[in-house]
Amino acid sequence: MVNLNAVPPKNGRDYYIAIGLEGSANKLGVGIIKHPLLNKHDDGDYSHDCQVEILSNIRDTYVTPPGEGFLPRDTARHHRNWCVRLIKKALEEAKIIHPTLDIDVICFTKGPGMGAPLHSVVIAARTCSLLWNVPLVGVNHCVGHIEMGREITKAKNPVVLYVSGGNTQVIAYSEKRYRIFGETLDIAIGNCLDRFARTLKIPNEPSPGYNIEQLAKQCSNKENLVELPYTVKGMDLSMSGILAYIDSLAKDLFKENKKNKILFDKESGEQKVTVEDLCYSLQENLFAMLVEITERAMAHVNSDQVLIVGGVGCNVRLQEMMAQMCIDRSNSKVHATDSRFCIDNGVMIAQAGLLQYRMNDVVKDLSETVVTQKFRTDEVFVDWRE
Amino acid sequence: MSEQLVAQISEYLTPNVPIQLVSQGAEAVVFTTNVHPYLPKESYSGVEDAKFIIKYRPSKSYRHPSIDKSLTKRRTLGEARLLGKLHQIEGLHVPHLIACDAYNGCLWLEFLGENLPNGMGFSNLKNFLWMYAKGGNDPYDPIVLETLYKVGQEIGLLHWNDYCHGDLTSSNIILVREKPGSDTWVPHLIDFGLGSISNMVEDKGVDLYVLERAILSTHSSYAEKYNECLMNGFSSVYENNGKLGQKKLKEVINRFQEVRLRGRKRSMIG
Repeated sequence: MVNLNAVPPKNGRDYYIAIGLEGSANKLGVGIIKHPLLNKHDDGDYSHDCQVEILSNIRDTYVTPPGEGFLPRDTARHHRNWCVRLIKKALEEAKIIHPTLDIDVICFTKGPGMGAPLHSVVIAARTCSLLWNVPLVGVNHCVGHIEMGREITKAKNPVVLYVSGGNTQVIAYSEKRYRIFGETLDIAIGNCLDRFARTLKIPNEPSPGYNIEQLAKQCSNKENLVELPYTVKGMDLSMSGILAYIDSLAKDLFKENKKNKILFDKESGEQKVTVEDLCYSLQENLFAMLVEITERAMAHVNSDQVLIVGGVGCNVRLQEMMAQMCIDRSNSKVHATDSRFCIDNGVMIAQAGLLQYRMNDVVKDLSETVVTQKFRTDEVFVDWRE
Repeated sequence: MSEQLVAQISEYLTPNVPIQLVSQGAEAVVFTTNVHPYLPKESYSGVEDAKFIIKYRPSKSYRHPSIDKSLTKRRTLGEARLLGKLHQIEGLHVPHLIACDAYNGCLWLEFLGENLPNGMGFSNLKNFLWMYAKGGNDPYDPIVLETLYKVGQEIGLLHWNDYCHGDLTSSNIILVREKPGSDTWVPHLIDFGLGSISNMVEDKGVDLYVLERAILSTHSSYAEKYNECLMNGFSSVYENNGKLGQKKLKEVINRFQEVRLRGRKRSMIG
């Protein structure tokens, strides 16, 4: 018995409006969404079908020069600088004139993420809450991704592959929790790609992973894959070794270290491998590992739906491989979204937060709004699903 | 399973080998057949219902062909080698390896087990425990407790020889009657796809923890007693090896408890 209509909308309206603030990494996002009040939500498992309407979805990314990553301090400053402007712009786009009257709930990212950026954004959220007299809801970033993916693709009970700069997890729902079946033992896949992009000194605009994907597409020597470690451990995987290895290859390539027989021909000293080849090999290797652990989880829980969420989920090659696996396995389809919803955004925080709000799970005191860098997906009690 | 996959397997095995699907995991598909890969038919046709297991790792079209080839080969070969070595350990029961084609990802194994009476399914530990838990039987029947003790011994023997299973669940343990008709069961460990040679306490601790979770989630009402029996069997192997055994047992048990406290991601049900 799930009753999503337990809390009526404000002022006798027949819809809910939520604003979501996201800033756990280098993206600052503000999103405003609207849920109509539907009778079917009185009783039943329809949290994947809220008929969400997106009123505004604004994002600003803190981009660093090539070869550099984003530091917490600078990212936090970026968020503080832009937060008010983005909120104003989002309200304008959504045509909300009186936030006090029109907004039901303010949702913010409680974690996981980088401490300083999270802090900057939660301060904005608290301020708005006091200013407008609107309740707050703290949202787990990962659950935000999952709920947005479910809402957009209408996948009812998928195995979720969550791949981003900070997380790599295979998740399935069971008994009121999103349980983690497999995850990375060291660094996240996005982190691995970003750091390799840094070694290659390719631009961080629009995102390092996207640029690697474009380079991989230009690979002309797809038959001769550069062999990399393949480190799946049961349902978990490990990526730091792969990164260290391919980094050393890239460095040898730039230094023209002819002793390296993988990169240069033994006799003629001719270059055999290009930067594009390295990008292609890295992607093929990493994604094969991801698809494999996803398939394992699917076999474990007997599911035939897959949903890919998170920033790396925009990668077309990953979606292709996953789709192929689904066809081979059970003739099913893979669910994926595009960059508007895959990359961190405010809308997803609003979506998960509004579900929480509709189950009457709101912050009662400002002391509950403390953000945390470590917040595992399976810590959240998923009240809104059967 | 898609038709393409079936076609792939049938083409590899040729029409001379009729196959029946048993189960489809993430990585491998398991079939039974009544044809031996190299012995002449006369040598085993006298045996009634001769049966063999084919474990086939199909090539995965989603990954790059060169990754696929090297993985299939490495894993099939790894499993075959492990089975070969385990077979030599006295007192340990694993299926007999008949043939291995690493390049095509195919293993032929001895068929183990039987169907339990009253339609309770195949004689793996899971179904066996369910059979005793249901329908007027005593879940703590001496036969059950003795079998669990023996399962513990098998695992103890495995760990004592520095091997790890990697995926211990109650469905990966097959029970075979000692003699036809007798009520004494000999447990056999199967599916060493994630197995490894390891002397690390961590791996052994995780192995035990995975088994405990598996028992807890599939046989929750009687799990406490069951796990106790398993651990008694496990300890007995170590204790029979004198002072060194005692010391090593302590290390494994301590790590096992540590892993349990950590509880990490393995806190899954399903």
